[in-house]
Amino acid sequence: MIRITGGKIFDPANGINGQVRDLCIDGGKFVSSVIGGRTIDATGMIVFPGGVDVHTHVAGGSINFARAMTPEDHRRTTAFIRTQSRRSGLGGMAPTTFATGYLYAGMGWTTVNEAAVPVLSARHTHEELHDIPILDKSSCVLMANNEILLDLFEAGDFERAKDVVAWYICAAKSYGVKAVNPGGVAAWKWGKDAKQLTDPIEGYNRITPGTIIGGLAQIIDELGLPHPMHLHCNNLGAPGNVWTTLETMKLLEGRRAHIAHLQYHAYGGDDWDTMRSASAEVAEYFNTHTNMTTDAGAVLFGDTVTITADGPWQHLLYKLTGRKWGNLDVENETGCGIVPYTYRPSNLVNSIQWAVGLELLLLINDPWRIFLSTDHPNGACFWRYPEIIQLLMSFDFRKECMTKLSPIARERITLPDIDREYTLYEIATITSAGPARALGLTQKGSLGIGADADIVIYEEEKDIAKMFSHPRYVLKGGEVVIEDGDIRATPEGREFIVKPAFNPDIESFLKPKFEDVYTMSFENYPVEIERLEHVEVRDCIDT
Amino acid sequence: MYWGGNPAECHPRHFTKYTLMQKSKFLPRGRKDRTMILVDIRETKSGGAADIFLQIRPGKDFEVLTILRAILKGQHVNESAIAETGLTLEQLTDFIDRAKKAKFGCMFFGMGLSMTRGKHMNSAALLTLAAELNAFTKFVAMPMRGHGNVTGADVIMRWQTGFPFGITFNRGYPRYNPGEFSTVDVLVRGDTDAALILGADPGATMPQPAIDHLARIPTIVLDPKVTHTSRLARVHITTSVAGISAPGTAYRMDEIPLPLKPALKSPYPTDQEVVRRINEAVARKSHWIPDGGPMTILQR
Ligand SMILES: [Zn+2]
Repeated sequence: MIRITGGKIFDPANGINGQVRDLCIDGGKFVSSVIGGRTIDATGMIVFPGGVDVHTHVAGGSINFARAMTPEDHRRTTAFIRTQSRRSGLGGMAPTTFATGYLYAGMGWTTVNEAAVPVLSARHTHEELHDIPILDKSSCVLMANNEILLDLFEAGDFERAKDVVAWYICAAKSYGVKAVNPGGVAAWKWGKDAKQLTDPIEGYNRITPGTIIGGLAQIIDELGLPHPMHLHCNNLGAPGNVWTTLETMKLLEGRRAHIAHLQYHAYGGDDWDTMRSASAEVAEYFNTHTNMTTDAGAVLFGDTVTITADGPWQHLLYKLTGRKWGNLDVENETGCGIVPYTYRPSNLVNSIQWAVGLELLLLINDPWRIFLSTDHPNGACFWRYPEIIQLLMSFDFRKECMTKLSPIARERITLPDIDREYTLYEIATITSAGPARALGLTQKGSLGIGADADIVIYEEEKDIAKMFSHPRYVLKGGEVVIEDGDIRATPEGREFIVKPAFNPDIESFLKPKFEDVYTMSFENYPVEIERLEHVEVRDCIDT
Repeated sequence: MYWGGNPAECHPRHFTKYTLMQKSKFLPRGRKDRTMILVDIRETKSGGAADIFLQIRPGKDFEVLTILRAILKGQHVNESAIAETGLTLEQLTDFIDRAKKAKFGCMFFGMGLSMTRGKHMNSAALLTLAAELNAFTKFVAMPMRGHGNVTGADVIMRWQTGFPFGITFNRGYPRYNPGEFSTVDVLVRGDTDAALILGADPGATMPQPAIDHLARIPTIVLDPKVTHTSRLARVHITTSVAGISAPGTAYRMDEIPLPLKPALKSPYPTDQEVVRRINEAVARKSHWIPDGGPMTILQR
């Protein structure tokens, strides 16, 4: 039992904006009162619900490939030394699993959504997720380039497609569905891409990226998944892609959707020389269409490693940078590319990307619909979130940073004209309450009675980035895990999964297909539930 | 394309299950729809499965790969350089023409490339050739790994430490330097005072000074059978056989995890069970690592 007294509470889920209240915890949850136990005096301190990351890449084949590709970074980064209670590990661009848990919890984040899991290697992803201490996790499976599903769309067999999607989610022991460059990753098997929503996909006659996006969104709504379709739009990173993004959003009218890393999809211009920010056009449309949520996918200057299922884009990035390139094709399901990358303020494209991430966070006016993310590690590493919070809360700091940009870059962005400054209440919304709601994790992102007692307590301090980097206390499930900058406990986290219903006959449809197209047998394919520890099955919902 | 490997004998299921024989949506005639090129320094049983066999001179892999990259980029290659490789300009040009015309090319390379003169430089040259072919068509490359679940060990070491092998924890956090911290180097230098051997038989493959050191120190072997290493070990704990009488996970060469479902029961414990019990016993001893102190350090 713990009582936290005297803190200024920022709890957007319950409309509490800086009022001083006591919080009582028992059995890992908030309760109305406790007798006895420890009291934490938070007088003068700021209390947030634990952070929730709606889109990150922390576990599985692709990040693990990135680790293999970047030993030079491991050598210069923060090292975690083994003690009696902690495992050793490395931070940096692609942190090791134990370090991932310590780094997220160390800045007050307690729940993460691993955004891209191939079903074929989901077993691996779960093993890594289990080795990430402290955090609770959910995950999304990659479906928009699965050839069995695409064949069903091509044949117009929607009902069966729906059963197949539900079956795959259950096989992967996953929580949601991710669609990456729909059709484009399948086309990449032919060395091609899918850039137009209305053009047929390589290897198919009828279906287009638009068919897949519309079909999957409908399936996910009809299955009642708590998290809507998690969509990485076509044409990521390309100048002028704002039109693809707006077309995609129009296609999704009347459906729920979460648009991932919007920054990478809001560019104007015709080519790399004429590229400009199109965040104003995107934000204007987004503001008036409340069926969608998004995360920023913000970029910070510095070194990182980019990893995405978007294979063709990564090949282009390899050609542009001439740096290392890793490509993984995941049989008939998806793909993956890995390229180390450095964002530089002297580079026009990078400058625009840096500005667009912040512009979207500032121009989209409802903090319940846009969330803090860097698409870790693509735009920047997650442990740099406090720098973004400082940029959002201080116009002066933004102006100071913009002096590093070239005059041409400053003409191509709208950031200099935006003087909005985030409040603490809004920061608590975009880092916790909002993403928890979008994920459908009702017990997260809230300090209300019955919610999970995940709490972060900051000592108020002028230097915003410093304050958000070094919380005074972090509690996970009612247990003090961080205190005074030290890790006090490393409990194992939970994994959230869903079990959408499907017609059991779908297995007799899938089994012969497996023998045709997979190199793994049907019986060995689904992840055994016994392999997951601390599972919590979440209910599907009426949409 | 296979380079420096003999899958017919070393990976006997590879042709039939993955690369040559399978019929598929886009290759309905199976073997007839594919072209296989074998590159090696001598004829092996795999030659029978190849459409084209390119026999190169021993130790010339790097040179051949470099010439292929030059031809791909339309650069001039001088004749004496080609003559040294054991191949002709026609053969090399034909290789590149076929590669560019392929709809989807796969290169597999074995220890005949990665462990001969040039070593990792050879692997890098082949991977670069595959990457550069993507300017024309889809191409991928993958090493042919050996011995059981070596990929699984790689994969797990990477997520826990950031590195695949050659790791030391002697400063309390993982550091990596193949050639210094690889098992064989540590043993040859005599830098370890105990050894725990799992799923390997270094006594059969390592150089004599490494084996001598294993015999000198307390070596513990977990293995289902008697091996060269178990004979020189202080302790040999017989364990059940993974995949036959013990469950678990094996990572395929392409890092896809496969569940192992035992068909038989064994009177012996699994490796995992033995290691778990050793860990528990160690945990009961007084702790040698101090607690507190800095949580992290910045390496510079
Ligand atoms: Zn992502």
